[in-house]
Amino acid sequence: MTEQWGFYFDAEKCIGCHACTVACRVRNDVEADGPKWRRIVHAENGTFPDYEQVSVSIACMHCEDPPCRTVCPTGAIEKRNEDGIVVVNQDKCIGCHYCAWSCPYGAPKFDDNNKMQKCHLCLGEGGGDGYGSPPKAKEEDGGTKPACVDNCVGGALKAGPMDELTKEVTDSAVNQATQRKGNIIIEAGGPTVTFESESD
Amino acid sequence: MSETDANDGGVRRRTLLKAGGAAAAVGLTGVGINAVGEEAEAASDESGRETVHGNCWICRASCGQEVTVADGKAIDLTGVDGHPKASAGEGREGTLCSKGMGQLNKTYNPNRIREPHIREDGELRAASWDEAIEFAAQRLEEFAEEHGPEKFLRYQGYPLGKHPWHDLVFKNLYGAPIKVGRKTTCHGPFSDSWAWMSGYGREWPDWQNSEYIIAWGRNVMECFRGQWEPKGVLDAKERNDATVVCIDPRYTKTAEVADQWIPIKPRTDGALALAMANVIIEEGLYDEEFIGNYTHGFESYKEAVADKTPEWAAEITDVDADVIRDIAIGFAEAAPSSVAFPWTGIAYQSNGFKNAQNIQALNGLVGNIDSKGGTRQWTAGFGLDDPHEKQGIDVPANYEDQPTPDYDDYPFQRHVRDLSHNLVPKAVERGDIKGFVNNWSQPPKSGNTRAWFEALEEMDLVITVDAFWTGVSKRADVVFPGASQLEQPFLQTGGDGSYSTNGWVTGSKPAIEPVGNCRRDYQVYKALAEEMGWGEYFPWETGEEYYDSQLEAIGLSFDELDEKSYEIVADFEYRQYEDGGFDTENGLFNFDLDAKPEYKALADDIGVSTAPAWHPPDDDLFGETTNEEYPLLFTDLMVEQFSRGHCQALSQSLEAYAQRFGHEDEDYRGNYLHINPKDAKARGIEDGDWVKVQSADDEIELMANLWEGIRPGWVGTENGFGVGSAQPDEEGANSMLLNKERHVEPTTGMTARNHPVEIERLGGEPR
Ligand code: SF4
Ligand code: SF4
Ligand code: SF4
Ligand code: SF4
Repeated sequence: MTEQWGFYFDAEKCIGCHACTVACRVRNDVEADGPKWRRIVHAENGTFPDYEQVSVSIACMHCEDPPCRTVCPTGAIEKRNEDGIVVVNQDKCIGCHYCAWSCPYGAPKFDDNNKMQKCHLCLGEGGGDGYGSPPKAKEEDGGTKPACVDNCVGGALKAGPMDELTKEVTDSAVNQATQRKGNIIIEAGGPTVTFESESD
Repeated sequence: MSETDANDGGVRRRTLLKAGGAAAAVGLTGVGINAVGEEAEAASDESGRETVHGNCWICRASCGQEVTVADGKAIDLTGVDGHPKASAGEGREGTLCSKGMGQLNKTYNPNRIREPHIREDGELRAASWDEAIEFAAQRLEEFAEEHGPEKFLRYQGYPLGKHPWHDLVFKNLYGAPIKVGRKTTCHGPFSDSWAWMSGYGREWPDWQNSEYIIAWGRNVMECFRGQWEPKGVLDAKERNDATVVCIDPRYTKTAEVADQWIPIKPRTDGALALAMANVIIEEGLYDEEFIGNYTHGFESYKEAVADKTPEWAAEITDVDADVIRDIAIGFAEAAPSSVAFPWTGIAYQSNGFKNAQNIQALNGLVGNIDSKGGTRQWTAGFGLDDPHEKQGIDVPANYEDQPTPDYDDYPFQRHVRDLSHNLVPKAVERGDIKGFVNNWSQPPKSGNTRAWFEALEEMDLVITVDAFWTGVSKRADVVFPGASQLEQPFLQTGGDGSYSTNGWVTGSKPAIEPVGNCRRDYQVYKALAEEMGWGEYFPWETGEEYYDSQLEAIGLSFDELDEKSYEIVADFEYRQYEDGGFDTENGLFNFDLDAKPEYKALADDIGVSTAPAWHPPDDDLFGETTNEEYPLLFTDLMVEQFSRGHCQALSQSLEAYAQRFGHEDEDYRGNYLHINPKDAKARGIEDGDWVKVQSADDEIELMANLWEGIRPGWVGTENGFGVGSAQPDEEGANSMLLNKERHVEPTTGMTARNHPVEIERLGGEPR
């Protein structure tokens, strides 16, 4: 693979404001009550007054070895060689929802026609599959920043080739990232970030 | 689940970060999307696409916008980099919040009023602009003849960019002298106490330079006014290693970023502030130089706090005495780069004025007034031209000769310049008010709701400029469909923003044409003025021309400004009081307000101290408290998704709000009653149940959200929903139904929003 794109998320800076989720819908022209390609989980712990919350912004992590692709019976899901972005060919999608069951991040969503759609790292707009789009270009090479990153109020989200993202962050975050299958680096000022799937 | 203790140098502790995938549930219920419609096609057409500027005005903060327009349609938004409100300053990324991102939703909302309407034979019907303007002018003339213009009340929300045209027509020309003061619906207790103490209308912290921030009844990470606020707090944490303390009975996103969350017993904030002062004075940590040279009333302040020990306050506030000591010392040691900043959490209280005064006094005590990283007295540092003056047009002040009623039996009304919101129905009943003009506001959601609805029916003439059908526009005689922010020109100057020592100006031309038959404000007021024979006061063709004339003062054209989005104009220093003192009665910072004659008279009258003092919320003067029948205290709240009540019709905001509290899988899109599981369990209430909130006066029904982040004994809901709101189905509950005329803070006339209630389970399904 030439380049692997991924996300960077800093839990210390996320203020749980949902600007990223709305920005994603606005850029990609998804109705407010439509599928949520990016969502915020307000993870909580403890009882009053020993209570805390942490906000986590989640979308498709464009996994290294995507479980969604593995289970897809029609081969509709593709991990692109040029940028590692996981896209779905909606023409091949039969709406069986296996990908949704297998994805640890709850990323695959379905449209009216039961076609899978999800975060495509802002490869173009609308539709939701990103299939057939040209390789992801960095901002300085004339690409646009993903809408979620562009509007992250706290500056908690970044996107780019993983080797560039890893340069900017702490060793512990890089360590965590390499142990995870999804292409996301999480900076959380210490705590381990665990993503759990109810389906695995 | 993995749980790891985290400790990054003792600054912050987070123990768990767990994000449930819930893949199956969410995936399988994934609902429809309308992505490949007309709009998506327009979006993919690169040819007609351009980027223009705008200024978001959903929470009236004027964050600079970059708007992508394709074929005349706005399709995408983001913030302007380096913008004083949209970014953290020079070279920093600009963003918009989730409400700001909902702006397209407002503009292209299917429920938007797109035609003028007039009331004929009791029914509202669509009309042409000519008809509507003519009708309004005629009704206004008849009204003036029959009742006099002094009986016509002005009620404004925050008209776009605070333009002067509404007042020019209704105050200066028509001669309506009375308006409702915004301070009586939102921030009176803290802005008035601050104005009287320091001579400055409303403090604003110098967030990014602070080293110790006490967000006191203020949820700055969720209810910011401008992107620069949360960004400034994050900058302060990262760059200055600032300590953030959040004082709030509920766990907010501010509590989330804070080093310490103090879930104080509601309405006891004033006691905590006095005890902090006690510690600071005991420890000799106050600013002698500042107090000696620039203040009045320190002796009486000192006396007032002499016996207010942390132990005394711990009883009242349920905050540990050691915690009180710690934050008092931390705050004082970081001064003058520290700030204690109250907001609506304090203003909504019936004893809010005294509580706010006690908190503000802390800032004076440690001398962090108008300091780097302290509480700032912002100024623009420059002025704009007066277009009328330049044209030699003398604007009359017809309101000045009009008689105004007195409300001597309402003490606060003697010194509060405008009419208190909650008194309007009384004024209508007494015949003092017989009509009103409203601009982008929804008064029945700001207090005394039922009486307001009755008053609206009673009024002879109601004129409104709005975008949605609300409790007001549905009852109006004339409805002018206002242009949305993206459709209007904008100009604003300011100091408070991410440039701590600069004044700035921000402005933009309309990004798009108004939808339907909607009209820009300038055009509405100009047409009305012309019809009423006052055309000479509106010689400019458009609002842009008016702004252009204003900008000549700083050698900038409106075209240039629109191109740049913002311009940094002036420099000003910290500690402006060193040169000329404070803008108060005596030129000093006042701990004791005995120097303010109007307040002194009021305080003597109602028997309260003019110095900082503790006034519990449970006496006759300061309001009601819980009892056996109504054991829970109810308050209304704000969240990021709707920090102003008029955003509720925006589906993007409603959706983000439902997600915020984990109820996006329900059909319900109203507000939630946040209740501690302990209180809920005692009443058999489960998450998602439909509940009734019963006060001694009234009741509301909404959905329960069980939450460990809220103090037992205390419940709350986000305001602005339910009957009278802009949401077409009026889903949720209008919390101000519980509010009656008597529920006001006695100094400022501000709507008091705390009610003793009991909660009852109604069942699982919304009715
Ligand atoms: S996050 Fe989910 S949808 Fe995305 S690549 Fe991984 S498994 Fe597939
Ligand atoms: S990269 Fe684009 S599509 Fe993906 S979550 Fe962000 S905004 Fe949405
Ligand atoms: S926009 Fe940024 S800060 Fe806000 S919720 Fe999303 S990731 Fe967090
Ligand atoms: S803070 Fe949000 S709502 Fe307020 S002006 Fe800025 S973008 Fe708009």
